[in-house]
Amino acid sequence: MKRGRADWMNMRSEVARLLGVVVLLLVSGSVAYSADLEAEDPRTMTFEPVEFSPPEPERVVLDNGLVVYLLEDHELPLVTITATMRTGSWLDPADKVGLAAMTGAVMRAGGGGGLSAEQVDAELDQFAGDVHIGIGRQSGSASLDVLSKDLDRGLEIFAGLIRSPAFEPARLELAKLQAIESIRRRQDSPGSIVSREFSKALYGADHPTARESSVDSIKRLTRQDLVAFHRHTIHPNGMLLGVTGDFTRDELLASLRKVFGDWQTGTVPELKIPDVSEADLSQSVIRFINKDTSQTHLRVGHLSIKESDPDYVALAIANDILGGSSFRSRLFNDVRTKRGLAYSVGSRLYTGMHDQGVWMMRAETKMTSTQEVIERFVANMERMRGEPVTDAELAEAKEAYVNSFVFSFASPSAIVSRLIELEYDGLPKDFLQQLRAQVIQLTKEDVLAAAKKHLRPDRLKIIAVGSGDALTKALSAFGDVKEIKLSPEG
Amino acid sequence: MSDREWCSVKRRVGQKTAGEAISRAVLAVCTLVMVTFHSINPSYASSSSLAERVIEHRLANGLTVLMVERHQTPIVSINITFAVGGINEQVGQTGIAHLYEHMAFKGTRMIGTTNYEEEKPILDELARVGTELDQRQRDGDANGAKATDEEGTTIESLRKRFADLQAQAAEYVVGNEMALLYQRHGGVGLNASTGKDLTRYMISFPSNRLPLWAAIESDRMAHPVLREFYKERGVVMEERRLRNDDSPNGLLFETFTSAAFRAHSYGIPTIGWGSDILSLTPADTEAFFKTHYGPNRATIALVGDINPRDVITLIEQTFGKIPAAPPPPSLVTVEPEQRGERRVEVEFDAEPAIVIGYHKPTLGDPDDDVFDVIDAVLSEGLTSRLHQKLVREKRIAASVGSDASHPGARAPNLFIVTATPLAPHTTAEVEAAIYEELERLKREPVSSKELEKVLNNLDADLVRGLRSNSGLASQLALYQAVAGDWQYILTSRDKIAKVTAADVQRVATQYFTKSNRTVAVLMKKGNAKAAAARPVSGVRP
Repeated sequence: MKRGRADWMNMRSEVARLLGVVVLLLVSGSVAYSADLEAEDPRTMTFEPVEFSPPEPERVVLDNGLVVYLLEDHELPLVTITATMRTGSWLDPADKVGLAAMTGAVMRAGGGGGLSAEQVDAELDQFAGDVHIGIGRQSGSASLDVLSKDLDRGLEIFAGLIRSPAFEPARLELAKLQAIESIRRRQDSPGSIVSREFSKALYGADHPTARESSVDSIKRLTRQDLVAFHRHTIHPNGMLLGVTGDFTRDELLASLRKVFGDWQTGTVPELKIPDVSEADLSQSVIRFINKDTSQTHLRVGHLSIKESDPDYVALAIANDILGGSSFRSRLFNDVRTKRGLAYSVGSRLYTGMHDQGVWMMRAETKMTSTQEVIERFVANMERMRGEPVTDAELAEAKEAYVNSFVFSFASPSAIVSRLIELEYDGLPKDFLQQLRAQVIQLTKEDVLAAAKKHLRPDRLKIIAVGSGDALTKALSAFGDVKEIKLSPEG
Repeated sequence: MSDREWCSVKRRVGQKTAGEAISRAVLAVCTLVMVTFHSINPSYASSSSLAERVIEHRLANGLTVLMVERHQTPIVSINITFAVGGINEQVGQTGIAHLYEHMAFKGTRMIGTTNYEEEKPILDELARVGTELDQRQRDGDANGAKATDEEGTTIESLRKRFADLQAQAAEYVVGNEMALLYQRHGGVGLNASTGKDLTRYMISFPSNRLPLWAAIESDRMAHPVLREFYKERGVVMEERRLRNDDSPNGLLFETFTSAAFRAHSYGIPTIGWGSDILSLTPADTEAFFKTHYGPNRATIALVGDINPRDVITLIEQTFGKIPAAPPPPSLVTVEPEQRGERRVEVEFDAEPAIVIGYHKPTLGDPDDDVFDVIDAVLSEGLTSRLHQKLVREKRIAASVGSDASHPGARAPNLFIVTATPLAPHTTAEVEAAIYEELERLKREPVSSKELEKVLNNLDADLVRGLRSNSGLASQLALYQAVAGDWQYILTSRDKIAKVTAADVQRVATQYFTKSNRTVAVLMKKGNAKAAAARPVSGVRP
């Protein structure tokens, strides 16, 4: 929810959330399995840790500041290029929310680099080339995925769309109609409603991390707005390219210089998101949205720390034990396994570097068990704050993190994406390794201290979507309940 | 649109998972056109030729093992697929395949318990009391107000006994121990899914932990224990509410599919009808397992940093001990020919949508390959016909997609087209425009350029399908289980390459008829008088 950003950002959050990684694993295909097969009890099996050194991508900076990460991988005849751009909807003017997203959509759909929109679509479809461009809340992203035989042509088209999009008026008009339709459909699904309202309750409806476009703000967008947004925010010195797959370094760099080399530098926008005021943070809130549903869709939580916070690792492990690790977590065991009250239940810690993070618990449960589920949320939260986690819980969380660390480096594109996102966020390239070292050192006392400090029952925002009166009654056990009336247009 | 979006249209349809992240893709839906490995283009043959990389092994008990070595990273992805799903269910027990899949995470005689010998008699008694309680409550509900005091007292005492037994049983449970073991050893992506055709279990982990996996999974294939049964039934009811009752698309597809199939079990929602879920018993579920989960019904696909010889030894030593099971009862019901259009509507507090479906044959019939071509021509990519016409030119639809194998591929199925109108346009306008495109397929031959595009994309998708360990494992096991041979991936590509423009015209003419179609419309609640569910006038079949 909070991440309006590109997918790669989510990837790290995911990894960081599971705290998944530590000792580089070793394993070699030719080693016969050392465990005693006759013992057969998986609970007592032990394995060697595995040494694994992921390949190191090369980092090259073109004269105009464009940063390129390269990692060759010739297993399959495919090449993937990603672009990460320092732009985003935090730059949207207040009366034109949706401008950044619309610019990204029409960069892709509206032609460019001297080709009409129809030519671009026809050519890419014909040789099965995939191009995506999108601008999220805190970054822009683009990707090209082609068979290596089509790399040169694919790259020309890709660069043309990024550098000189045509923003064809008919395609803009269509994109606006589509955006308005999706606004009209925002209230269709209870899950979408509860996520968006929760975000607004945390950050405020006008905050760059939570605000939403409206039919009016979309209608106001002109082609000139898109042209200007592109011109002002997308520059070679604000862009990070990642190239993986079946290419050779020198040829690829020559191709990149050909299509991007004469692109002039510009003033890259500063990524700065305002913090929510202490007064708003400290307020606890209970809101419901009336919709005819069979379940109550629940989000309970509050704003949290950034990834650079010294308590980050301790809090991430606390969240992992509380509700972040699916089957293994307390909330899953309590609410789902033992009580059978929800299919999907757990907690999440979403963190980034540019705005405050979010910590939340979530579940969907039938109306009659709504109050019980919220009570279990609060009780489990209080338990995290009141007593240390068990030795077994901490050991399991650490083992899970360390033993799955290798999955952070599972493919060349994962390795390159990670480095790019770290650079984008201004973090050191061994950030994950640093986290891993901290995880290994972590004590129960650290986890307890982080839970006490950062899980705050007095600051809970409870947002629920469900059916009317019965829901109000269930929620009123936790404080004053107010209704959020949805506007029909979303 | 991209393959990904195209796939997500299909994702609304049928599959259920035990884990938190659920992909609802109908197996074999995102498959035929989207995923394939083989390429006719000889320049790619050496790197992407699947035929050379797959190692196949069959155990004496019938278990099939497929392996692909990839040594870049010390990890492995494994997919265990059983040829069992909603297709094997009977009315009154719908949802049992999916409930069993949930129960398969509850452990074995060794995992998930502190003492199975002591636990077992309690579980048996709990099942007996629970079954009687369910039965009496159903009878009570059927009798309505006529229930006597005596019956009320009996039910009350059964409830107390039931609660007491549940508490006793809980004393022995080691909650989610199987998942915990995997996670401690670095396992990621632990999940399972149930579809109409198949039930699948997946996991990825560091590849030196294969003995752990083999011990857990061979034990689960042989000795599952259905503990915490009644709690899990409640979880599944919540899943049903989440996916079908509170989801406009979930409910639309459930209603559509059950209208299209009146006899065949493809018409039953995989998650089951609510009343059936609440009537499932431990004994039924155990019997379902015994009937359908033999090793001869399973395919295990392993892709990653493995040594096939060692893997075979390991699997022989563990899974090899499981006896083969007798063949399950054969599927007898054949959907009768549809003799007239069927139209249904679903009222929901949501914006409108439409699904249109035509009965068709499945894998093995040459017409099925033609439908794969039609599917791609109509909805694959920004230049596909439906997107171009409905979204771009007429601007009457916000989205449109198609699927050539709804809701499965083990039995004759449906070709479906789905769309959401762009306000103020209606589902009726969208429906008419879709029929125009289907008529055009009958009237004029598709161009050679379109056919070439279909094949280029198919070949590229074949190569892309090799990229991830888990994706490849999934595809291999899928085709082995659905088509009886993973090489179907390769042969279907060649058959698709041979499809001609005349084939497309013939098939469109034969199947896209009014009497062979089912139409379901999602209508805004309280807005039911909109023209949505009326037949479209002026448009022939």
